[in-house]
Amino acid sequence: MSTLTLTHAQLLDPSQELNQLSDVVIENGLITAITAAGQSSSEHDEFNTKNALLIPALIDLSAQVSNVACETLAAAKGGISILCAQPSSKSFIDTPAGVSLIQQASAAASNSQLLPLGALTQALSGDQLANMHSLKQAGCIALSNARAPIKNALVLRRIMEYAATHDILIMLTAEDVDLSANGKMHEGPTANRLGLTGIAEVAETASLAQQLLLIELTGCRAHFSQLSCGRSVEMIRNAQAQGLAVSADVAIANLMFTDVDVNGFDSTFNVQPPLRSEDDRKALLAGVNDGTLAICSNHQPKDIAAKKAPFAAAESGMSIIDSWLSMMLTLVKNKELELRALIHASSILPARILGLTQGVQVGQKANLVVVDQAAEVCYQEETLLSSGKNSPVLGIDLVGEVKLTIAEGREIYRV
Amino acid sequence: MTRHSDPTQVQLTADGRLKHFLTTEGLSKALLTEILDLADSFISTQERAVKKVPLLRGKTVVNLFFENSTRTRSTFELAAKRLSADILNLDIARSATSKGETLMDTLWNLEAMYSDMFVVRHADSGAAHFIAEQVTPGVAIINAGDGRHAHPTQAMLDMLTIRRHKGSIEGKTVAIVGDILHSRVARSQIHALKTLGAKEIRVIGPATLVPKEMTDLGASIHYDMTRGLKDADVVIMLRLQKERMSDALLPSESEYFKLYGLTEEKLKLAKDDAIVMHPGPINRGVEIDSAVADGEQSVILNQVSYGIAVRMAVMAMAMSGQASEQAKQKAGDNA
Repeated sequence: MSTLTLTHAQLLDPSQELNQLSDVVIENGLITAITAAGQSSSEHDEFNTKNALLIPALIDLSAQVSNVACETLAAAKGGISILCAQPSSKSFIDTPAGVSLIQQASAAASNSQLLPLGALTQALSGDQLANMHSLKQAGCIALSNARAPIKNALVLRRIMEYAATHDILIMLTAEDVDLSANGKMHEGPTANRLGLTGIAEVAETASLAQQLLLIELTGCRAHFSQLSCGRSVEMIRNAQAQGLAVSADVAIANLMFTDVDVNGFDSTFNVQPPLRSEDDRKALLAGVNDGTLAICSNHQPKDIAAKKAPFAAAESGMSIIDSWLSMMLTLVKNKELELRALIHASSILPARILGLTQGVQVGQKANLVVVDQAAEVCYQEETLLSSGKNSPVLGIDLVGEVKLTIAEGREIYRV
Repeated sequence: MTRHSDPTQVQLTADGRLKHFLTTEGLSKALLTEILDLADSFISTQERAVKKVPLLRGKTVVNLFFENSTRTRSTFELAAKRLSADILNLDIARSATSKGETLMDTLWNLEAMYSDMFVVRHADSGAAHFIAEQVTPGVAIINAGDGRHAHPTQAMLDMLTIRRHKGSIEGKTVAIVGDILHSRVARSQIHALKTLGAKEIRVIGPATLVPKEMTDLGASIHYDMTRGLKDADVVIMLRLQKERMSDALLPSESEYFKLYGLTEEKLKLAKDDAIVMHPGPINRGVEIDSAVADGEQSVILNQVSYGIAVRMAVMAMAMSGQASEQAKQKAGDNA
């Protein structure tokens, strides 16, 4: 019998309208009591949070994980209890055997839990359906083609119909790859000045419009990963108002940076979807603040050689997982993101999308993170736990230091 | 939320001297004028029987061309030789990188040969900038064209051409016609023209080849050649690549020529003493009529000869900027 008491924590859980200075008692992984601060008995292991924030642990809807032990350790330190592992061209799961391999690796690493997302199409080819039902049976919480295109609208329709038949959650991206062909960054003044091929907004919105119509036709449950345009947020709001079972997320990079950050040809900012205009960034923030959008890390660790090339020749992707929460808290500090919206978008809403229960509640398994939201942090290459050092925030002053992460009742990180 | 350094400043020493030449953007009027003045002085040395000056004696210049080019490479080679440098021509397009060697590996191998300057042409925008950030301090990078981004020596030889034939750039109306979208030359020209005080910079072509964001650079957009050429002092024609048709940017060469090709008749819309320029190589009958290319108002061949002088000027200035920075560094280390 193990008991842990978290004392003097600023408990904030918008799913239950909780916002109070509390003590939280956890026995054998279960939350057994939540009392006003200073009222719990402290005869057991006690963790004095010293008025730090206690919130539901984060759930990342979109991360690429090549080295399971390494990335899940970084995630644990980053306050994340669950990581959804997006397929990539180098590693995808289109068979049940692949699912159990990931599950075993995740269990062995014993850090944040890794949930495999199965492929929607075989080998992400975009033309032949993967064994979608078998993958769901094997434990895939959702299926995704990552950013590999499904160009044929008829294939897309069939995928949606099949998913609706078996109530499978599908994760989609919105990109017309003909319209975005060879594009390296947002189409706008910066791309024109730098002579880099632009990706027009319409490459996202035209694809999104088409897919929303197909979702309406087929009645499937769909989640759009990594939207980047202000216009797209509006389209998701309208679709939801219309009653479609759609949700969407935005990568933290698109909330923090814009196309102007590409100015120095810095390949760190080569990312898909591209960083867009300041107007888009503001509209995406508004979409998070009003509860429409979830936030994902879109973590993509890259080795040094992949990024050490001229901008257009470098691989796209940013290493985010270490700094995800700090980046979000810095937006809160800058008064661009509301704290309760942060928790909703990175924990409550992702859980709802995936059909998981989440919340700091008596009787539930503890899934929580204690974070000092005022502590200043500054990441350097050496301090990143992720295998990818391609972080956009190296040397930048952020706030928010995780003190403790508990996932499924298990302590996976303590400072 | 930014952490990048100003890209246009990478090419300058702490005291504002040129140490690489990557782009015309962000360079002061004084510095651009210094390049033109020095180039002017080299033109007179080129007219002498002995054309060499010893400014780069003992230095090794490597022509690093990842894209094929005959003319630009030859003028850089001649410029280096006339500055008394040793020159090595590497046709990378056909060698190392095609065997899987990365750009970084190629660079480190070349640095091991103790080169002092790389003249770089590469298909990726930002390649020269990337190399400048990676090379050992003391090695100068001259951008001989990177993707669609910049071709600063071409732009400066065009500025020199305008200055020599029109007296100055200030107050002039310059029309740039054709494939602006893919043109590194046009981008570099626009930055230089703006800094040097051109009255009006017009870009002319169909919307498929003229990005609307060109207005952010200070150019006005014209889809109609008649209005675009009106009262221009300088008409710069750009080369049209054949692949623009297969990329669905244009229907055909003939329709393009009809709308945007420069003929004697259309040239009459510009000022009587307007000059016609082209970065070459020209496509006769596609963007320019032979009668215009070879006509009295054409200064296309003069551009080529000024190219050597301009390249000599930026090579000499960058090498000298590197030397002064290295000297300061040493003095600082010893102090």
